[in-house]
Amino acid sequence: MLLPPIIYEIATLAVFFCIYNVMTWGLNIQFGAVGILNFTYITFMAIGAYVAAVLSLPPQTPGTGVTYVLGLNWPFPLPMIMGGLAAGALGFVVGLVALKRLRSDYLAIVTLAVGSIIYTIVGNYTQLFSGWDGVVGVPEPINNWINLDLNTYEIFYVAVVLAVMLVAWFFTRRLFASPLGRTMRAVREDADVAEAFGKNTFRIRMLAMVLGCAYAGVAGALLVGYTGAFSPDGWTVGETFVIWAVLLVGGRGNIVGTMLGCFLIVVVFVEGTRFLPTGFLNPNLVATLRNMVIGGLLILTLRFRPEGILPERRRRYTEIRRASPTAVGAGAN
Amino acid sequence: MYHSFGGLQAVDGCSFTISRGSLAAVIGPNGAGKSTMVNVVSGALARQRGRVRFDGSDISGWAPHQIALRGLIRTFQISREFGGMTVLENLLVTAPDQRGEQLWNALFRPGLGRRQDRELVSRALDVLDTFDLFALRNEYARTLSGGQKRLLELARAVMAEPKLLLLDEPMAGVNPALIDRLGRHIQRLNEQGITFVLIEHNLEVVERICDHVVVMAVGKTLATGRMAELRRNPEVVTAYLGGELLERATG
Repeated sequence: MLLPPIIYEIATLAVFFCIYNVMTWGLNIQFGAVGILNFTYITFMAIGAYVAAVLSLPPQTPGTGVTYVLGLNWPFPLPMIMGGLAAGALGFVVGLVALKRLRSDYLAIVTLAVGSIIYTIVGNYTQLFSGWDGVVGVPEPINNWINLDLNTYEIFYVAVVLAVMLVAWFFTRRLFASPLGRTMRAVREDADVAEAFGKNTFRIRMLAMVLGCAYAGVAGALLVGYTGAFSPDGWTVGETFVIWAVLLVGGRGNIVGTMLGCFLIVVVFVEGTRFLPTGFLNPNLVATLRNMVIGGLLILTLRFRPEGILPERRRRYTEIRRASPTAVGAGAN
Repeated sequence: MYHSFGGLQAVDGCSFTISRGSLAAVIGPNGAGKSTMVNVVSGALARQRGRVRFDGSDISGWAPHQIALRGLIRTFQISREFGGMTVLENLLVTAPDQRGEQLWNALFRPGLGRRQDRELVSRALDVLDTFDLFALRNEYARTLSGGQKRLLELARAVMAEPKLLLLDEPMAGVNPALIDRLGRHIQRLNEQGITFVLIEHNLEVVERICDHVVVMAVGKTLATGRMAELRRNPEVVTAYLGGELLERATG
């Protein structure tokens, strides 16, 4: 059954929208809430993607030139969960190194270095994830049970990523609204003062790091389930930049703002190229133009509205006073 | 206590005791090592040599957040409010023992945090009231005036349920009317049971509200006692280069 092409375009948009949302919410926890400058966020997405891929792939077939570890043929949602856990674990290790004593710019440089190291290892150590060529033929999640044709599966996958996105939304909202979320913001505002008030800032930062990286891992797993293949091309430094743009343009510290930023960037990314005349433009130029547009958006935002389109919401609390005679206007706001 | 920064011996055998319930001050000329003492005592600087005892425990070498949880709360010389949070939130965040700060509770048992928040909000609003900051409770802390930020610092410290408040130059750069208010707040809180240690240069305030004074100079304890006696102590007077102290003694 073949639907009009527009449906499939919308499906693609929707899938990328959901995936980027989950990814950027993770970065929002790290930077928006706690202020950690993670400049290698994409590496954690990559780990999630790779782990999910090698867990859902069958054992490697010799002679194909595609080499990788594991190959356990696990069904959905296990590879996705493991992808999230693996990314979280990597985040834990990086956090131990980077978060104990380093602040802002030093932290950013260290994360860049870590990303570079991992990128080089994965690319060169071909037994791991098939090096620079990457893994291919990753089976579609769930399709081994329901056996949809590829076209219908595209629509079905929208439901899968949407479900994951909604779960992520639910828990991210809870986190931001909780006392933990509040303490996270205090650590962001002034870590020394938070420490002086009894907050274990290292623990708070590690929490944000691990959680955020786990989000990236899950997003990576969802991505590889959709594209069926993954290679180092898909996680260059430029990719981290796109996620940062989504976060900063949409609004750091604002969950809905992230969705807005995501919508803008994804639309530009996927759809923007349709309006460029094809033929005389080579594909590399197209990618560059995309980045220029996103870069332009980012510059405009930082110049005219640095907190993002939807800034962090001011928190108000229900006010129930107990036995206080002097207050004026006491009571629920 | 001994503490050096490379070749500079900032604290050189300084030692003193503050009794529970007192309203004490540590004074001394610039470079006496007062700030270093504060940072070492509160754990902000790694301990080098010497011991710090607080409320029956040896807290030497503890991390700052552990010392704070024990009940020793310190403030900073310049107002360091959580600017991107509201005044009310500045108070809410410093309250100790919040169940909602555990990840599991935050994600899976949000009711715990919300219930505790109701208590905390009520208490915070009362504290804001006594400091006359109630009207500003939902304003971002960074929008407050300098004087209001000073009051916020103290209000926020009170929310942390301190046993001892170590205030680093609380009156620095503050206008006289506000000095008065702050002084009265400190006295009131002291009467309610909080021990105070003020690092101060404003000797007038120290004389007015403090019952015990420690004088530091060149990293050592020079003298201790009440302000009136210290004014007559020749060593103390010399340490201050015959400035303010001498004027008081004669005028």
